Amino acid sequence: MKTPVQQWIEASRIKLQSSTFTIADFDQLEELTTNRRQAILYLSSQSTNMRSPIAAWVLYDPTQPHAPQLPTQDPPYDSVLEAIADGWRIVQFPIAKLYEYREVENDYIGYEFILEKWI
Amino acid sequence: MANIQPTMTDDDVMEFIANGYVVLEGIVDEDYNSACADFPAGRADGLAQDPEFIRQVLLHPQAAGVIRSLLGENFRVPTGAHHHLFSEPFVGQTWHSDGLSGSGCEITEVQCYYYPRDVALEDGPTFILPGSHCRAVDREAIAHYNDIAGQVALTVQAGTIVATRYGIWHRAGPKLSHNPRSMIKYSYFRQAPPRRDWLIYSEQAPVYKEDAKLPYMGGVESYRERVRRRRTWHWLCNLDDAASRHLEDPRPYYELGSRPVDEVDA
Repeated sequence: MKTPVQQWIEASRIKLQSSTFTIADFDQLEELTTNRRQAILYLSSQSTNMRSPIAAWVLYDPTQPHAPQLPTQDPPYDSVLEAIADGWRIVQFPIAKLYEYREVENDYIGYEFILEKWI
Repeated sequence: MANIQPTMTDDDVMEFIANGYVVLEGIVDEDYNSACADFPAGRADGLAQDPEFIRQVLLHPQAAGVIRSLLGENFRVPTGAHHHLFSEPFVGQTWHSDGLSGSGCEITEVQCYYYPRDVALEDGPTFILPGSHCRAVDREAIAHYNDIAGQVALTVQAGTIVATRYGIWHRAGPKLSHNPRSMIKYSYFRQAPPRRDWLIYSEQAPVYKEDAKLPYMGGVESYRERVRRRRTWHWLCNLDDAASRHLEDPRPYYELGSRPVDEVDA
């Protein structure tokens, strides 16, 4: 997932090469860096181990409209650790004591890590 | 009185126990699908009690054969239904199970989804999560869930009936098209005590077959599911003896084999 600033850098490189980079591009960069938003990624891992496979996932991106999107069968990352390597920061770890160990009842899906990225 | 014959084998019943659903693709007559597709959204009790709906849908030999297999003789036929109709694009529903479902290993109800129109991925198909039918969980506490590994989109042709274990997690998926997406939901109930009287080829009930771990499950979850499935199988077969309970141990069968030490030649 590329942040708006990363997208700006990519576009600006092309503009510099074609000599179309203007002061308005700096204004845009200023806008992007002063109005950053917190994106939230829930990753439910199959265990508390950050290298475990991902069981469920959802991204909440406040910069995107709340519009229908086709579901996917592929998680954005193969593990929580891979998401961290891509710049996500964990804001909440699963708390093992909250996962009641009782007989044969299953309930929630996986062990939930909540991650953030400022975009 | 309708003469309804079971259609499922031991393997079919075991598969239903594990996954919680069976798809009967395009079984309802094409002309009758068109008539049902135009039924207004909302409560559809009148439709459920219409003799033609009973004949074409509720007691369709393939659908009723599945119900007869899972709920036994003289099961109760629905007198109420609900037409879930979505016409405009929307983000979809959140994951939920109906009612306060999830507990218990008994199969006393089968809930069906009947689709009178074709459903493509862009039309907001029902998504179900195989194997989730025993997970009792607060739907508001999982409202933030979205994609789950192993979820199944019910992209089906008109005339399809999906029989589900009441309690399976499901949701109307994101809808991108303007095609109406139509689903009529209703439930059958058990009256008869459980008995292995579906299609059988031997008097001895087979041992429940091991099935693969579902993609979203961790190790302990998978062990728990294994126990629950075996309990359901034994309940359906009316097996309540020490040997059957021994088989409900979650470990692989080879780990449970043992014999008295005085029978060992050494």
